[in-house]
Amino acid sequence: MTPWSGPLLPFLVLAWPLLLAVVSILPRVRDHAVRLLPLGPVPALWLAFQPLGEPTLIPDMLLGVQLGLDPARQLLLGMTATLWIIAGLAAQWGNDARRDAIYAGFWGLTLTGSLGVLLSLDVGTFYVSFAAVSLAAWFLVVEERTTTALRAGRVYIVMAFCGEVALLVGLLIGVSHAGSLEIEAVRNGLATAPNAGVAITFLVIGFGIKAGLLPLHVWLSPAHSAAPVPASAVLSGAIVKAGLVGLLVFLPNGAAGNALLLLGFAGAYGAALWGLSQTNPKAVLAYSTVSQMGLMLALIGGGARELVPYYAVHHGLSKGALFLLVGVMMATATTGARVAVLVAAGFVGASLAGMALTGGMLAKAAVKAPLSDALADAVTLTSVTTTVILTWFLWRMWQGDRPARTGSFWPLRLALPLLAGGGALAVPWLLWEEWKGLPVEAYLSLSTLTDSLLPVAAGLVAGLLLIWRPLPQVGTGDLLLLVEQPLARLAQIPPERKREPREIHLFARLAEVSGRLETRLVRWSVASAVMLALTLAVAFLTR
Amino acid sequence: MDAIVVLLAAPLAGAFLSIAAPRLAVVASALVCVVAFVAIGLLGAEMLELGPAIVVPGNWGVPLGIGLEADGKAVAFLAMTALVMAGVITAASVEFAPGSGRRSFGFWPLALLLWAAMNAMILSRDLFNLYVGLELLTLVAVGLVALSGKADALAAALRYMIFALIGSLLYLLGVVMIYGAHGMLDMGLLSARTPAPADGLALALMTAGLAAKTALFPFHVWLPPAHAGAPAPASALLSGLVPKASFLIALRLWSEAMPDIVRPEALVLIALLGAVAVFHGGLLALRQVRLKLIIVYSTVAQLGYLFLIFPLAGGEGAAQPWSAGAWSGVTFHAVSHALAKAAMFLAAGLYMRAVGSDELGAIRGLARSMPMTTFAFGLAALTLMGLPPSGAFTGKYMMITAALASGQWWWGVVLLGGGLLSALYLYRPLEALFDGEGPAEIIRPRRREELAPLFLAAAAILLGIFSAVPFDLIYVGRPDAAVTGL
Amino acid sequence: MSVYLPLLILLSSLVPALLTFFLPERAHGLRNGLNLGGALIKLGLITVMLVSVGRGATYDFSMQLAPGLVLALRPDALSLLFMTLSALLWFLTTIYAIAYFEGKPNQSRFFGFFSLCVAATTGLAMSGSLITFFIFFELLTLATWPLVIHQQNRASLAAGRVYLAYALPASAALLIAILWLESVTGPILFSTPAPLDRLDDTSLRIIFALFIAGMGVKAGLIPLHGWLPVAMAAPAPVSALLHAVAVVKAGAFGIARITIDVFGIDRVEALGVGTPLAVLASATILWGSIRALQQDEIKKRLAFSTVSQVSYIVLGVALAGPFAVIGGLAHLVHQGLMKITLFFCAGIFAERAGVKKIEGLNGLGRIMPWTSVAFSLGALGMIGLPPLAGFVSKVYLGVGALQSGSAWALAVLAASTLLNAAYFLPLLYRLWYLPPAPDAAGDEGKPGLVVPAVLTAAASLGVGLFAGSPYSPLGWATLIVTREYLP
Repeated sequence: MTPWSGPLLPFLVLAWPLLLAVVSILPRVRDHAVRLLPLGPVPALWLAFQPLGEPTLIPDMLLGVQLGLDPARQLLLGMTATLWIIAGLAAQWGNDARRDAIYAGFWGLTLTGSLGVLLSLDVGTFYVSFAAVSLAAWFLVVEERTTTALRAGRVYIVMAFCGEVALLVGLLIGVSHAGSLEIEAVRNGLATAPNAGVAITFLVIGFGIKAGLLPLHVWLSPAHSAAPVPASAVLSGAIVKAGLVGLLVFLPNGAAGNALLLLGFAGAYGAALWGLSQTNPKAVLAYSTVSQMGLMLALIGGGARELVPYYAVHHGLSKGALFLLVGVMMATATTGARVAVLVAAGFVGASLAGMALTGGMLAKAAVKAPLSDALADAVTLTSVTTTVILTWFLWRMWQGDRPARTGSFWPLRLALPLLAGGGALAVPWLLWEEWKGLPVEAYLSLSTLTDSLLPVAAGLVAGLLLIWRPLPQVGTGDLLLLVEQPLARLAQIPPERKREPREIHLFARLAEVSGRLETRLVRWSVASAVMLALTLAVAFLTR
Repeated sequence: MDAIVVLLAAPLAGAFLSIAAPRLAVVASALVCVVAFVAIGLLGAEMLELGPAIVVPGNWGVPLGIGLEADGKAVAFLAMTALVMAGVITAASVEFAPGSGRRSFGFWPLALLLWAAMNAMILSRDLFNLYVGLELLTLVAVGLVALSGKADALAAALRYMIFALIGSLLYLLGVVMIYGAHGMLDMGLLSARTPAPADGLALALMTAGLAAKTALFPFHVWLPPAHAGAPAPASALLSGLVPKASFLIALRLWSEAMPDIVRPEALVLIALLGAVAVFHGGLLALRQVRLKLIIVYSTVAQLGYLFLIFPLAGGEGAAQPWSAGAWSGVTFHAVSHALAKAAMFLAAGLYMRAVGSDELGAIRGLARSMPMTTFAFGLAALTLMGLPPSGAFTGKYMMITAALASGQWWWGVVLLGGGLLSALYLYRPLEALFDGEGPAEIIRPRRREELAPLFLAAAAILLGIFSAVPFDLIYVGRPDAAVTGL
Repeated sequence: MSVYLPLLILLSSLVPALLTFFLPERAHGLRNGLNLGGALIKLGLITVMLVSVGRGATYDFSMQLAPGLVLALRPDALSLLFMTLSALLWFLTTIYAIAYFEGKPNQSRFFGFFSLCVAATTGLAMSGSLITFFIFFELLTLATWPLVIHQQNRASLAAGRVYLAYALPASAALLIAILWLESVTGPILFSTPAPLDRLDDTSLRIIFALFIAGMGVKAGLIPLHGWLPVAMAAPAPVSALLHAVAVVKAGAFGIARITIDVFGIDRVEALGVGTPLAVLASATILWGSIRALQQDEIKKRLAFSTVSQVSYIVLGVALAGPFAVIGGLAHLVHQGLMKITLFFCAGIFAERAGVKKIEGLNGLGRIMPWTSVAFSLGALGMIGLPPLAGFVSKVYLGVGALQSGSAWALAVLAASTLLNAAYFLPLLYRLWYLPPAPDAAGDEGKPGLVVPAVLTAAASLGVGLFAGSPYSPLGWATLIVTREYLP
């Protein structure tokens, strides 16, 4: 077995951020470790623009590492890397610049996992990467160490762990049926395995937790509200996508279709509406993420899985941009500048809602094509709910605390979300032809434009109405609020019962019997009688 | 040939010398040790080549003369005696340093006479000769018990004497009946005799007598008081050696001289007594608070093991293949028990002197100030529990294998259960020794006093590790079927 | 050389042991040199053997103790797995123990018995026959007792009592089983299949149960695990030895030997005893974890964690599929590395910061970063977090469970992972995320304590990260299974 084959770059893509994470701990670097954050994803971005090559094989590592890409994953890799770079850059100012080496180190680990999920071709590497992205992100969630952050962290880690375990069970069934560790083989095996249902259920649970599948989405809104802004950006833009990627690569075509469709659409509508009960703009965005992820999960179930990456790229970039804009708004003092931020957010939001001429319109259009009419209409209808929740989001963002002074480097800070948002608006246009096989002009017509305008307009009206008459506001976590207390009580471990050590009575009692016997035997009369008895007995028992 | 005579003569000569010139007692004893080891070595080497050695002093020829015969077992028991003696002599050279009063004047001749009596009983095949040896051994042992001269020691000695004399009487009665019926007393010749109707009773009488002397349950009651008052080196001899001689005779009677008249039920009866002894002695050891008494009751239990061999190698079993394992097993057991028990008594003596008492509460924590003695005590305890790699484990292994091979697995259970019980009662003193810091001021033993128990206990362990060498020796003089073993 | 190599390996720890007993207490340099030297020589010799066994060489050293009682040292690949682990960890534990006992009394006694323990473990690993195995198994029990009671206080004496109260009946059971078996089949060598057909199935089942009872005490199978948490009264290096290097491993190793080499996987299955054993192991895994949750003393929590984790090995062997056996055997090494790390760290926390309860861990992460990182790695590995060692074992066990048609074992693995997380994560949370108590103080001033812990932590990461390598524990376990049990 050769220890290595294939190009070095994919391995470097994963090793580099890890190396940076280790470097962050060094005493000299420790206090400025945040400065390293934007460097981590650079090789990944580079790889995203390279032609696809041979897979990289390192059989000695883990259970035999295999790294490689296909066009869809390469696209997601590009988006992920871009988002991480932008978020890393956005972490250079204000409170974010003062974070410590632990934050920086686990940022690197999370990043590695997030990239590894896309690059791995074998189950071992995938699972390792998934665990990294899933569990290391906990450190990003609890970074603020406030009570709410710690509560969010607790919810996050418990669910993430349950997800890991569910995933492990599902993957093990898949691996043992396929007799191979290659993801491809496992997916094909799951299509025919006799007990595939069990495996797929576990996989859907495991990935669904990460991807925010209803009703496993409860960790998202507390975590997003608690995490620092750049962390929220990657959480929503890149980390939850790991779950989506998992479903894309492991789920056989059409498996669990109806469940995904049902739960996905329930999430898509329900979360968008529930988000209206939230005050914190980041919590509102989190519900929007649940809603969008629900839509994507429904698309996987509904038979549009090939185009989900195309949609995901748009969502990742725009959601990242929106989170970062929240951060910018929090650092903006003058009204004019605040309006500018609001407008920028409005544009990105419009794109997310699928407004005419935005990238979002194309994304929605693309995924609707393979769907049945009813499903396509359902997708169109999500534009309404998305518009409603994003309008509410813009309002909540506007209402946020206004600082005394605008933060330093404000234009640069605004430029970063604009870059991401601009990407969200533009990338679908650029990739349309590659993904749909037709020039984009062929799609554009007046009717398609009005089709995409109407739901947005309707949503906007509803949104404005809600701003006028808001819904009652509640805390984060919806279903969680119901089950949190009983579950916590259930998990209380009864304290150990202290038992008094027991004396060994048996031997003591037996020894007493022996003692009594001994006092008899000591008597001469008994001794002589016994001697006589023995003599007679032996004499009797001989021939 | 000459070695056998030397082994009888040397201790006797030493004993006389130590009476004649008490100052030279230790030197004389040491000399006897050297001579005995050389003689045993030569005897063993010769036997491995030529088979059992037979010598008839005065060339009178059996049955008229007295036959002395050394086979494998005999050499093993001779070596055991010599080793224990060497250890005891080393340790006693401090406690009974010549010129330190009446006790030391008495000890050396008694010890050397005991040795002579042991050797005589091991080598002799003549029933009457054995009687003489038995009597000598008894009287010497009683003397050792009474050595301290205290009132309770004298009372214990008296009790012992009465038991032993009754035993001797019964034995003598049996011998007389045999002589009356067959006109001969040599065991080798008796095995080929025509059975007489009185043989059974004779055997029964001899067995009862020997059982009393071996302290087999229920005749063990003289043993604990006798030890309680005796000085530690004397206890080492009384517990380690004295009962083994009478046991050997009893076993020879049942498996070599008259196996033909023995019915299986009789064998089971004897073994049952042994089994009861194992548990009775063990349980009583659990009740004791004095270290010495724990060790004594352990002797009661351990002697019980020896009798488990009767159904395996006595009577008709003597010619069965598994008897080889049983014989070897019991020999190993006897030898390692003698070594370990002697080591334990010597160690107990040191503790007793260090703190003035042998109660478990008094010896608490002595491990810290007397590590070497405690190490020896621990090794000895390990042997008595029958755990590997001690010689007792080898013995136990062979006996259990034999028990299983003969289909009498229950004796194996007795052996294992007894081992667990012994762990239970020996754990108590061990734990006490390790409990806490111990007294600051103790009377320190001399270095060679500490080395003696260590040497004996180590010998018991080494016997287990290098048990292949003795094995070939033990097989010499075995019936063919029993040599091949399993 | 080839004949005497096993003997030399045995002597490399036996000779230091015997010499150490007679060294005066103040001869620190000599004693340390003797023990470290022995450990190094042993590592060297094992490396030589490892290379040649990897190439297919065999070793055989036999010594007849008595007719039918042969002391046979015949190291095979399985032996080497265990030996290498124990030799490596012995070396590190010696360094640790030297630092730990600096300035404390009774060092000669400690190091003497310590080396004796390792000698027994090595002998046990190399044993080529059942009775040899038993002899070393017993020797191990006995040599461990003085270590358990080393501190000579009430708690440790009680621990010693409980330890023997469990161990000695167990060895009686073991001896019965061995003698029963051998009285019918003759002496049993691990290298040749024993003629078990001569016994009827019921007898074989009882014998198997006796074997499991005998070994199960050491391996901490419920309900025979009671001694393990009590033995926590012993000093930290001893706990490391009990939990990682020698004692519980000896039990697990023994079960592997019995199942694989004496009965054979096929016969275990035919007798229908594999599944009950797997169920017992599973129950142990879960019960140990639940009990661990209840403990508020660090070492006790770790002890119950051992109860749980060692049964992974038993589970792997009992499931009897090739993958499960590979996973179980690899876990033998993996658990050793991770658990010794945890105990090293627990010892450092107790010695250098005076912390024994989990509340005391609050905020120690910043005060004692190296120890805390090592502890975290060990704990995460125990949980089975990829890519640490525990994960690799779990994957193989899981696949093995499915392959042998015991899908329920997967649920056990899953539940155990969650439980492990539940009792380990709070510790890490305290270490890193809670503020230290006002009077919290600690330092990592003794490299002799910290370096071994960091090394074993790194190793438990390394064996997971490079599990695919043929030289990893997993690779070696695969070699064992493909070479010896998959004809």
